[in-house]
Amino acid sequence: MKLLSSYIKEMKIAARGFYFYIEIGMAVIILAVLLFAVNEFPTSSAKEFIYYDMSKEIKSLMLQEELDDGTLELAEPTQIKMKAALFSVKNKETNETKTYTYDEEIYHLDTYKVFDQKTGKLQKTIIETGSEDDLIRLAWQEKTIGAAVGMNEAGEASTRYYLQGYETARFQNLLYILQNESPATLQAAMDGMTITKLENAELLNTRQSLVPLLVVLMGALMGFFIAIAYIFLDKDEGVIRAYAVTPSTVWKYLLSKLLVIITTVIVSSSIFTIPVMGAQPHYLLFYTLLIVSSFAFSSLGILIATFFDSMSKTFGALYVFLIAMMLPAFSYYVPSFDPLWLRFFPTYPLLQGMKEIMMKSTDVNYVLLFSGVYLAGGIFLFLFANLRFKKTLAV
Amino acid sequence: MKNILKIFMRDLKTARRDSMALIIIIMPIVLAIGITLFTPGLADTTVNLALLKNDDPAHIQYMENFAKVELFDTRQDAIARVQKRDDVAAVIRKDKSYEIILQGNEPNMVENYAASLSALYETGQTIEASNVTLYSFGQSTSPIKTMLVNMLISMTIMLAGMLIAISIVGEKADNTINAVNVTPVSQTEFVLGKTLLGGFIALVSIIIALLITGYDDINWLMILLVGVSSMALSLIIGFLMGLMSDDVIEAATNVKMIMLPVAGSILGYELLAANWQWTMYWSPFYWAYKANQLVLSKTADWPSVLLSTGMVLLLTLLVYFAAKPKIRKGLS
Repeated sequence: MKLLSSYIKEMKIAARGFYFYIEIGMAVIILAVLLFAVNEFPTSSAKEFIYYDMSKEIKSLMLQEELDDGTLELAEPTQIKMKAALFSVKNKETNETKTYTYDEEIYHLDTYKVFDQKTGKLQKTIIETGSEDDLIRLAWQEKTIGAAVGMNEAGEASTRYYLQGYETARFQNLLYILQNESPATLQAAMDGMTITKLENAELLNTRQSLVPLLVVLMGALMGFFIAIAYIFLDKDEGVIRAYAVTPSTVWKYLLSKLLVIITTVIVSSSIFTIPVMGAQPHYLLFYTLLIVSSFAFSSLGILIATFFDSMSKTFGALYVFLIAMMLPAFSYYVPSFDPLWLRFFPTYPLLQGMKEIMMKSTDVNYVLLFSGVYLAGGIFLFLFANLRFKKTLAV
Repeated sequence: MKNILKIFMRDLKTARRDSMALIIIIMPIVLAIGITLFTPGLADTTVNLALLKNDDPAHIQYMENFAKVELFDTRQDAIARVQKRDDVAAVIRKDKSYEIILQGNEPNMVENYAASLSALYETGQTIEASNVTLYSFGQSTSPIKTMLVNMLISMTIMLAGMLIAISIVGEKADNTINAVNVTPVSQTEFVLGKTLLGGFIALVSIIIALLITGYDDINWLMILLVGVSSMALSLIIGFLMGLMSDDVIEAATNVKMIMLPVAGSILGYELLAANWQWTMYWSPFYWAYKANQLVLSKTADWPSVLLSTGMVLLLTLLVYFAAKPKIRKGLS
C-alpha cells in the first residue's frame, strides 16, 4: 500500500516535470521519422564502375540478352564532378606502380540499371566509363571498386579490378574466380543444388528492423541513465535521508522510482512500436521483456549511483557503459559478425529477444529464458543497491 | 581575456578534482583502442560456412580461401550450428552435389554467396586459372573504421557539451552563477571561460584518438578547423541546456534530446541518396560529420572543408543568437 502511494506520488511529481513529456515527445519524433523518413523497402543504392575494354559490337552482344529480357535498362547519363587528384596504383602481382595526375573535370557517363529477374527490383546501377584511365580515377575518387572487363591475348574474358587496398584476402580470392565461368554455367550448377531452409521465417523490413534497436536504446539504456539522475536529484535534496525517519522503507522508495521509469519506458516504447509493427509482435512477450529489462538496467543504475557523490562523477562509468552496451548493435545489423565475447553483453540477448518478438515466428523459449535472466539479475541488483543505500545512509 | 583564462584555470582545477577532464581524455582513447581492435573483425564479414570434418579435404581447403569455415562431426551438429542466432550456412555433400542448409531467416546474400561458392567449386574454378589482375590504391583504412572514428569524434564533441550542461546545473545548485554577477567578470567572459575547458580537453583527446587509430597522415589543419567549429556549437548547446535545466534530470533528458539531431545527421549522411542529402543541410552536425568524413578519407579539398566549416559556424551563430535571450535570462 505504501509502495502504491509512493508510486502514485512519484508519478504525479514526474507529470509535473519536463522529463516525462520529453520522453513522450522523443517517442513521437521517432515515430514520425520511422513512418515518414525510413523506407520499408529502400531501393538499392549499390553502384558499380565498369569499363568495357572491347569493341562496341562485342559489348552490345554481351549486354543484348539482358537488355532484351528487361533485367538491364539504359538510364539517364550520370554526371560526376571529378576533383583534381594525384595518386598511385600498384599491380598486386608485379608490384609495378603507376602514378596518375588529374585536373578538375566533369564526367557524363553512360548508366545502366540492373533489375532482379524474379522480383523486378533495382539491384544495382552500373556506371560505364569511356576509358580505363577514367575508370581508375572514378574508383579512386568514389572509394569503390572499378572493373575493366575485356579479352586477353588468347581471346578469353579477363578482368582488371581496381581495389582500394583494405579489402580482405578472402574477398580478393573471390574476385579472382568470380568471372572464370560464364553466368549461365554457374547458374546451371546452382540449379542442381539442394537448398534446405529449416524454417519459413519472414524477415523484418528496414523500418521494422529499427524498432528493437530503438526500444533497447530508449527503454533499457535510458532507464539506466535516468535512474542515476533520479537518485542524484534526491540525494541533493536529502529525500533519501528523510526516508530513514519515515515509516516507509528505502526499498519502497527505490522501487517507486523504478516503477516511474518503467511506466515511462512502456508509454514511450508503445508510442512508436504499435503504429510501426501493428499486430505482428507477440505483445505479451514484448511487455514482459520490456518491463524486466528496464527493471534490471534501472536497478544497475541505482546501484552505480551508490558508489558516487555526484552526477558528473558518475559520468565516466555511465558513458563507458552506454557505449559498450551499444556494441551488440553491430552484430544485430551484421549477423555474420557475431564473436563470442559480444554475446556476453547484456544488451545482446535483449536486442535478439526484441527482434524475435517482432518477427512472425517468435522463439518463445529464448525470450522467456532471457526474461527470467533479466528478472533474476534485476532482483539481485536491486537488493544489492538497497543494501548499499542502507549502509551508506548517515541518519 | 585574463578573466576568461582565470575561469578556465579554475574549471581545470575543479574538473581535475571531479575527474571530469580525465573522463573526456580517457574515454575517447579507450574507444579508439577498441575501434582499432574491433574493426578488422567487422570488416572481414564474407560468409560463415559449416562443413563436415569427413568432407573432401580439397573442398574444405577450397572454401577456407573464401569464407570463415567451422568443421563439425555430424550433419546434426552442423544443423545445430546453423540454428544459432548468427548467419551460418551448412554445405554438406549430397549425392554428387552439395546441399546448402540455411535457417531461413538469413538475408538472400548468404544463400547466394554459399550457392555461388559451391557452384564455383563444382565447376572447377581456381585462383591459379584466373584471368583476373588486381590493382590497389594502397588504402589501409576501411570505410567502416573511418565511419566509427568519425562517430567517435562526434561523440567526444557531444560529451564536452554534456559535461558543460551538467557542470552548469551544478553551478546553479551552488549559486555560483548569481555570485558571478557581483564580480568584475562579465557574462560573456563567464560563458567563454566555462566552455574553454570542455573544448580544449576534447580537442586534445580527439588528436590522441586519431593517432591511435592510425590517422596520422591526414590534413591536421583541416581536422582542427572542423573540430573547433563543431566544438563551438556543441559547447553553446551544452551551455544552453545547462541553463535551461533546473536539475540533473532535466539536464539528462535535454542531453538526450541533443542526441537526436546528432544521430539523425550521421544516419542522414550515411544512408540518404545523393539527391536527398539536401534535406540534412539544416543540421550543423551533418556538416561537421561530412567535413570529418572527407578529411579522414583523405578526399577533402579546401573549398569543401571551408564550405562545411562555414555552414557549421553560420548555424552555430544562428543557434547562439536565437538562444541569447535565454542565456542572458539564465545567467541573471
